[in-house]
Amino acid sequence: MEESLSRINEVIRQATFQARGSSLKQRKKRDPTRPSARWTASARVGREQGTALAIVLSTIGCAHARSDSGGCTMCSYLLDGVQEMPTSDQIVAQFKFAMKELEMKRAPLSVKIYTSGSFLDNEEIPMEARSEILRLIAEDERIREVILESRPEYVSNSILSSIRELLGDRTIEIGMGLESVSDTVRTICINKNFDLLMFKDALKTAKNYNIGMRAYVLLKPPLLTERDALLDAIATIQEARRLGVTTISLNPVNVQKDTLVEKLWTRGNYRPPWLWSVVEVLREASSISDGWMKIVCDPVAGGKRRGAHNCGKCDTNIVEAIRQFSLSQNPTVLEHLTCDCISQWEHTLNHEDFSLVVHR
Amino acid sequence: MAEFRIGRGHDGPARVGEYILGSTTFATPLLTSSFTSSDSIIAYGAIGRDEPLSEKPMLVSLPFVSQLDEISLPKIRDNDSVILPSLISLATISPDASELVFAYQQEVLSRITPSIDPSRTIIRIPSVAKPESIVKLTEFGSHGAAFSFDGQLGPRDFGAINLRSHLPLFMMTLAVGRIEPGLIPLLHYTGFDIIDIGYSQDAAANGVRLWKNGAEKIELGTGYRFCSCPACAKLDTAKQEDLLNILLEHNLNIYKTIISESKEAMRSGRLRWLVESTTHNSPAHASLVRLVNRELYPFIEEFSPTTGPDALPVIGSESYNAPVVRRFRDYVASRYSAPDNKPIILLLPCSARKPYSDSKSHKRFNAVIESALSGMESRVAQVILTSPLGLVPRELERIYPAGQYDIPVTGDWDTEEIAIGANALVNHLKKFSNSSVVIAHVSGGYLDIVRAAESKIEQSLIYTTPEGRATSRESLDALEESLLDLKEILSISGGPRTELEGIVSATADYQFGKGAGKVLVPEHAKLKGKPYRLILCTVDGEQVCSYVAESGTLSLTLVGGRLLAPLKRYWVRLEAQNVKGGSIFAVGVQEADYMIRPGDEVIVINGSDDVIAVGRSEMSGREMCELKRGRAVTIRHKKE
Ligand code: SF4
Ligand SMILES: [Zn+2]
Ligand SMILES: [Zn+2]
Repeated sequence: MEESLSRINEVIRQATFQARGSSLKQRKKRDPTRPSARWTASARVGREQGTALAIVLSTIGCAHARSDSGGCTMCSYLLDGVQEMPTSDQIVAQFKFAMKELEMKRAPLSVKIYTSGSFLDNEEIPMEARSEILRLIAEDERIREVILESRPEYVSNSILSSIRELLGDRTIEIGMGLESVSDTVRTICINKNFDLLMFKDALKTAKNYNIGMRAYVLLKPPLLTERDALLDAIATIQEARRLGVTTISLNPVNVQKDTLVEKLWTRGNYRPPWLWSVVEVLREASSISDGWMKIVCDPVAGGKRRGAHNCGKCDTNIVEAIRQFSLSQNPTVLEHLTCDCISQWEHTLNHEDFSLVVHR
Repeated sequence: MAEFRIGRGHDGPARVGEYILGSTTFATPLLTSSFTSSDSIIAYGAIGRDEPLSEKPMLVSLPFVSQLDEISLPKIRDNDSVILPSLISLATISPDASELVFAYQQEVLSRITPSIDPSRTIIRIPSVAKPESIVKLTEFGSHGAAFSFDGQLGPRDFGAINLRSHLPLFMMTLAVGRIEPGLIPLLHYTGFDIIDIGYSQDAAANGVRLWKNGAEKIELGTGYRFCSCPACAKLDTAKQEDLLNILLEHNLNIYKTIISESKEAMRSGRLRWLVESTTHNSPAHASLVRLVNRELYPFIEEFSPTTGPDALPVIGSESYNAPVVRRFRDYVASRYSAPDNKPIILLLPCSARKPYSDSKSHKRFNAVIESALSGMESRVAQVILTSPLGLVPRELERIYPAGQYDIPVTGDWDTEEIAIGANALVNHLKKFSNSSVVIAHVSGGYLDIVRAAESKIEQSLIYTTPEGRATSRESLDALEESLLDLKEILSISGGPRTELEGIVSATADYQFGKGAGKVLVPEHAKLKGKPYRLILCTVDGEQVCSYVAESGTLSLTLVGGRLLAPLKRYWVRLEAQNVKGGSIFAVGVQEADYMIRPGDEVIVINGSDDVIAVGRSEMSGREMCELKRGRAVTIRHKKE
């Protein structure tokens, strides 16, 4: 990287760390035997209609965010975690608690395990806990699909081979925050702290065990113009397709508490992406994928000030269309969306690039 | 190559110029937009993302790219100028982040210079940068700088203007961002050469019609303001889908109108007045103008000419510290010295007509003085109280702006004006002997000034306008009586007429600083002429200067220049030994006195300190030193 860019990275890292401030120590006390959240939704599992359970395990949180590298500029998932490391038994208890949601459900089922960090990080999820959770899944014949989340540095042959062994022929995907194909954007604007090569290695390792890759693509990290962000997300999806990613999860930035993004946003120096940009990226993504990748997007706080939003009049419709698309994978639901504010968005694309003044 | 040439003419830091890209010359000030281009609007766009609008050169911005090698240099056409990339909002992240914005641009610049001449590049200056870092920009090699405006008219927008005032003079200055039409005169006045009108599109997209001093939301089918522009003629029959283009066209017309108004105002020396008249656009706008006036006074004053239009409107409180006004007060306070032998100091009210002597009221005052003191009129120091100039000694009544300013003369003055006047009066009277007697022949607001100053006046003070106006019969009688009394009491006797000496000497001090009057008008100087026409001053048989009533200023001869040279003021040093032709260009100037303002009488010297010419400056002293082009001095006389 250019010398000035590494200096910029250092400033961003410090600012991110500062924005996090003392929020880490102020995390709420939680029952260590209960997950932070869990919910079910009907979903497409393989080719059939089924139910998906999402679990957010309550852990000490992402190692990157806990360390003095400061975490990512837009992420405050850490706040969902707990102060004190739960024991293996407690983590397994959290999982069992969430699984009760599936008691009455019929196959096929899909289980997504989130941790506000990395499920494969031994420090966050002790090995015994992980094996036990996977064993519990293996026992349940209804579960056909498992999605785990991790940063690339925890992906190894030994871990993946044991996962594959335990889960048998189930469909497995690892969700990973690729965010941007560009190392510079990922480093400078996001402070992600891993490079494309690590992602590629993890992807290759996963392939060896027939484990798929769900790449999270970030739309509009801070310090980019609306058009920079739009083009970066499209370029990222293009590269993801080339690399053989199985699912794209597009994440428009939402303003989370105690983050650098929030600090910029409060002073008028950041605006979450337009829903028009989200729609545009999804359209492109759909044509890039050409049926090879699944493309999903659930804009957090969509239509609200802290989330991807438009003028206020058209937001509900557009967010709905985006949800429809994620479920059906049918790009025609994204056509014919329109509103007066589209010309404002077009103006922003062009004028922000030239003026580098944030358009709100 | 890109070249920016600054043309002739000044009105504050505002300038006219030429931005030359290849074979195309754009006259500045210039607008820039992404949707239309013409001779007076240069197009802009992002490289690789926006298509050029025409064959003509444009401003292209380099987007932030992850790898510098990704910059699509081949797409940059030969004559486009190139705005260096940065990251949006980066500068706001920490106090030292602005430095990184510069460092990154410098790195990009060094990477692209093999294929792009640095003169074609424009560097982005974050509004939160430190002024010190601006001075270092010369090392960059860029010939242009871009400042951004968020349109809030708050500290950041002031920051941008403030930073601009620190920019090396030769650089082309670009204003980008959310710039409403009402801001254009101020930006032009503070020296911006190219102004982004992208906001016209933003407003149109929001259904907003912009005006010179505000905005109007348009809903078809409801009422709206009348507009005479061709676009708005279509409004009555417009369909919803036409609205955007109609509004855009209207908004564009407004920007074109206002830049043209601004240019014309500069040409006629009334740009300052135009800027002052925009203060009523909004409270935020007024604060910004005031802040600029207060904080950037030295910058604005430096480029404000010492000559001006025949009538200078001085209307609201924004004018109290207008550069020519404040400079006049400063010069009178610091350069005027009281002539000897003035036992009577007469305070008079100003008149609407300029110079005062031509007004009915002053003719009456003069008649009274003549009849009371026949032959000894020049024993009276006449001081005219006025706002916002403070006071004008009679000898200086024709000099700019005293001879030209135009105020509403109702005599109702606000506390700030009274304070300004009182302050000037106290300072002025300190220069006179304590045994002189002050006659205050003033009423109304003028009287308030004297009363406010009274406790700090050392001389005895007589009021001659017991009630009513200074021109009333009673007041004039009282004045005559007081003068007659004082003639007795102070045993004022005759003496040579000193009116001409007084005018030339005071003018010399005003123009060239304290002491110049004694040099140009020594005891044995001979003066001929009329104060309202021309006065010639001769020393030892050689003419040294002439006073031209029309401008109220002195023109030097070479001999006069030689007399003044030892004072080491208002000099311009040439590289050449002698002057050729009728002008001196900035490129030939080696050094110049930074006190020089456009319009000043200057003394031209060579390397061996010989006075080789005298003339009139066309730019400020600093410009003569820093600029490589342009006319610096128009020669009046030179050594043959
Ligand atoms: S985005 Fe992922 S890697 Fe970054 S701080 Fe949040 S949890 Fe950690
Ligand atoms: Zn809308
Ligand atoms: Zn109109």
